[in-house]
Amino acid sequence: MKKYSLAIIVMMLFSLITKASNEAYEKAMLKELQNMKSAASPEDLQKVANGFARIAQMMPEEWLPDYYAALALANAGFRSEGGAHVKDPFFDQAKKHVDKAAKISPNNSEVVALQGFITMGELAVDPASRGQHLSGLAMQTFGKAVDLNRQNPRAIMMLGQMELGMAQFFGQGPEKACGLVDASLALFAKEGAEAKEGNLNPTWGKAMAEEMKKNTCK
Amino acid sequence: MKIILAICFIFLVNCSLAQTTIQGVVKDQKGETIPGVNIFLKGTFEGTSSEIDGTYILETKEEGDFTLVFQSMGFKSQEFEVVLNGSLHTLNPVLKEAINEMTAVTISAGAMEASDEKRAVVLRPIDIVTVPSAMGDIIGAFQTLPGTANVGNDGRLFVRGGDATETAIFIDGLKVGNAFGTTASNVPTRTRFNPNLFKGSFFSTGGYSAEYGQALSSALALNTVDFPVRNQGDISIMSVGGGYTQTLAGEKNSLTASANYFDLSPYQALVKQNFDWERAPYGWDAEVSGRKKWGKKGVVKAFVHTEANGMKIWQPLPDSDERGQLVGVQNQYTFAQTSFRQLGENDWSYYGGISYSNNVDKFDIAQMELRNQNQLVHSKLAAIKGFSEKFSVKTGFESYLFNYEEALISEDLKRDFRDHHTILFSEADYYFNNRLVFRGGIRAGHSSLAGQSWLDPRISLAYKFDNNGQLSLAAGQFSQMPVEQLRVLEQSTQNTRADHVILNYFLVKNGRTIRAEAFYKDYKNLITYEVAQLFPMPLGFDNIQQNGEGYARGMDVFYRDQKSFKNTDFWVTYSFVDSRRKFAHFTEMVQPGFAPRHNGSIVIKHFISSLKSQLGVSVSANDGYTYENPNLPGQMNSKTKNFQDLSLSWSYLAKPNLIIHLACSNVLGRDNIFGYQYANEPNEKGVYEGNPIRLQAPRFLFLGIFLTLSKDKNANNLNNL
Repeated sequence: MKKYSLAIIVMMLFSLITKASNEAYEKAMLKELQNMKSAASPEDLQKVANGFARIAQMMPEEWLPDYYAALALANAGFRSEGGAHVKDPFFDQAKKHVDKAAKISPNNSEVVALQGFITMGELAVDPASRGQHLSGLAMQTFGKAVDLNRQNPRAIMMLGQMELGMAQFFGQGPEKACGLVDASLALFAKEGAEAKEGNLNPTWGKAMAEEMKKNTCK
Repeated sequence: MKIILAICFIFLVNCSLAQTTIQGVVKDQKGETIPGVNIFLKGTFEGTSSEIDGTYILETKEEGDFTLVFQSMGFKSQEFEVVLNGSLHTLNPVLKEAINEMTAVTISAGAMEASDEKRAVVLRPIDIVTVPSAMGDIIGAFQTLPGTANVGNDGRLFVRGGDATETAIFIDGLKVGNAFGTTASNVPTRTRFNPNLFKGSFFSTGGYSAEYGQALSSALALNTVDFPVRNQGDISIMSVGGGYTQTLAGEKNSLTASANYFDLSPYQALVKQNFDWERAPYGWDAEVSGRKKWGKKGVVKAFVHTEANGMKIWQPLPDSDERGQLVGVQNQYTFAQTSFRQLGENDWSYYGGISYSNNVDKFDIAQMELRNQNQLVHSKLAAIKGFSEKFSVKTGFESYLFNYEEALISEDLKRDFRDHHTILFSEADYYFNNRLVFRGGIRAGHSSLAGQSWLDPRISLAYKFDNNGQLSLAAGQFSQMPVEQLRVLEQSTQNTRADHVILNYFLVKNGRTIRAEAFYKDYKNLITYEVAQLFPMPLGFDNIQQNGEGYARGMDVFYRDQKSFKNTDFWVTYSFVDSRRKFAHFTEMVQPGFAPRHNGSIVIKHFISSLKSQLGVSVSANDGYTYENPNLPGQMNSKTKNFQDLSLSWSYLAKPNLIIHLACSNVLGRDNIFGYQYANEPNEKGVYEGNPIRLQAPRFLFLGIFLTLSKDKNANNLNNL
């Protein structure tokens, strides 16, 4: 009997600790997500990425901390000013995190879409010389992300963005790209309606889709 | 009391209200502050980042012994043991920089790299196929780079006063025998391999790594495409022939197969030729390449290329008005190889492979029928061990089997030789820091036929400045056996030797590249011989010796700019070479006919979005080629007028998957002369008559249509580059 009660106490304690740690995890994630929303400069985004990296080292089983660290770094890469020597290190760091997220959660449409987003960033650094090599890779990655989850608005929106770039380059109409943007906007709306308080899953990208809608798909 | 303790135990965090503050400034070894450093207590969620001025403040309610970690891109992480006891700590760490492959100094002396890696490179693979004067030949593009000479009537790669046989070509690290097509004299040749096969290249004009040998002047290492991204079929229709390539891409393996046919007859029927062709050049080739992932990090590749081609040409004799002599060339060629790369445990990595080249030429000259066969088997196994991020050693073992045979079929005469080289090479790289790297290597070899062993030391050193420019120095010894045609006559010949010293400055910044290089090369043990007849071509070699010598010295500059003009990429090259050598039948030091002193080229590519077109212009010029005029005293006593070429190209993306390419060489129709061919005997007036050596036609016009079929409608021929 004594043994039993001891076991129960240990189990209770254990669950208490896990719960505490889970709460701390969620609290830390929500805090950094809040920080990411207000981050404007590459420096701010680097700090946010640091925050997610700290959570990642505490929670090696979760893919989200690495995912967001990669996203923050990719955005820092997009927003930083300067040449390849300034931007590339951000994308290199982002790749390390997203690859770790892919290892924790394989065949995850969100992670694959983010891999494509990072490739798109590397491409944007020097389109003249990287375009031929990376545009195919980015297309293929977004295609894979869509195949993994046809309800992922980010994958569809970014595939649309690539299609738009291609169409503009070849002087074709934006119809196909705009179809994708519209599909993504519908999914974004659905995602927004379903999102609960304290949601940690990715919800970003709606503004980008709206921008494309406004500028090219009237 | 117990209860209070228990409560305190459960709500541990809330009980300890004391707050510890750690603050300070993070700096690097140079004393500059580092922003964005991730600072955290290991095993907790507590942490912060350093500000733009490097300062940080970490406030925590944790108590006890903890590890404080400082982490930042480009620096080694640092950890400190701290006791959190509610007081104020000040900690000013100095982070040590980590060796970073992307930004660390690289050895750039002699080297020009084309790749998609992010490191600073001279060219991208795509740049190579779009050089107008290259006409899709990979070597044609290299002829616009510093250190090379354009020898129009030959077509091969001549580097810094060296002749074309002094350049060795490697595919995926394995040597390619007879990389250029066989041709008649003064009919330019091309590389046998399709440029779309390669994703990158490393072209060295001297001072190269101990991994490469049997080349006095230059090494060109080509790397094949790793994994194509999709299934596709590529159709090409050209003014000189056509072909089809099918690519099958899987997750773990892929296969590419292609077949091509060319025949210049229809083209030559339309465009007037200087040469008197009996049968215009024609030929076919077939190629299969496969790649397979090996485990998580390894890859195995296999590649087979086979082709056959021929031509028949009337070559005029200087002292006659008739058609001259009929020269027929038939060539059969096969190159096959398999190679692998694998990453092992504990910072070991391995690579290697085996290649086989077999070249059979048949010549019909006047009444003579000649056949020669050249075979080469090269195998290599190498391992790299990284002892630390600063120090790594590469060691490899190689074996070369040479088999050469030539036969005068009409006379039933035959001669041959076999040679086996055993090679051991080892090279160590040591990074003192991100700015300074040292490389030292040795290459030891033994030839069974020559009975000779040799040891070639090589060293290089590179330093990177604050502005990202870098200075490198390379020096080394290089050995090469004489050409097969001479070795078969004199089988005891030993290695010819060259010593190189190269000083290089290289800077890539904001879309602009500057590269300047100065060099000195010293040649020893070059082959000399006597000839029974010198004109119109040397015949009857005798008294083959190795007492030739020479030097080549000079400098070259390269400037590339992708920034200054919108949608425009251009590069300008100037190379100065002062080369003199005693070799072949010369009894004194002369300037070789393949080494013009002043060489320059300009390549401009401009993209016009509204026309979906890329326009290309390339200009090449040199100050003329030396030649020997028997009517004048002395050796190599004359020089041709200067060489000039203006080539234009237009590439039009008609549809995302359809490219139309039109190119024309020597648009201005300049009458370029590469030397003179003299009669063996003087005429009645006592004058040796000579014919100028020209190209087959003043201009060459190329039209190609490239169509790609795949599920992805935007894919085209260039995607795999």
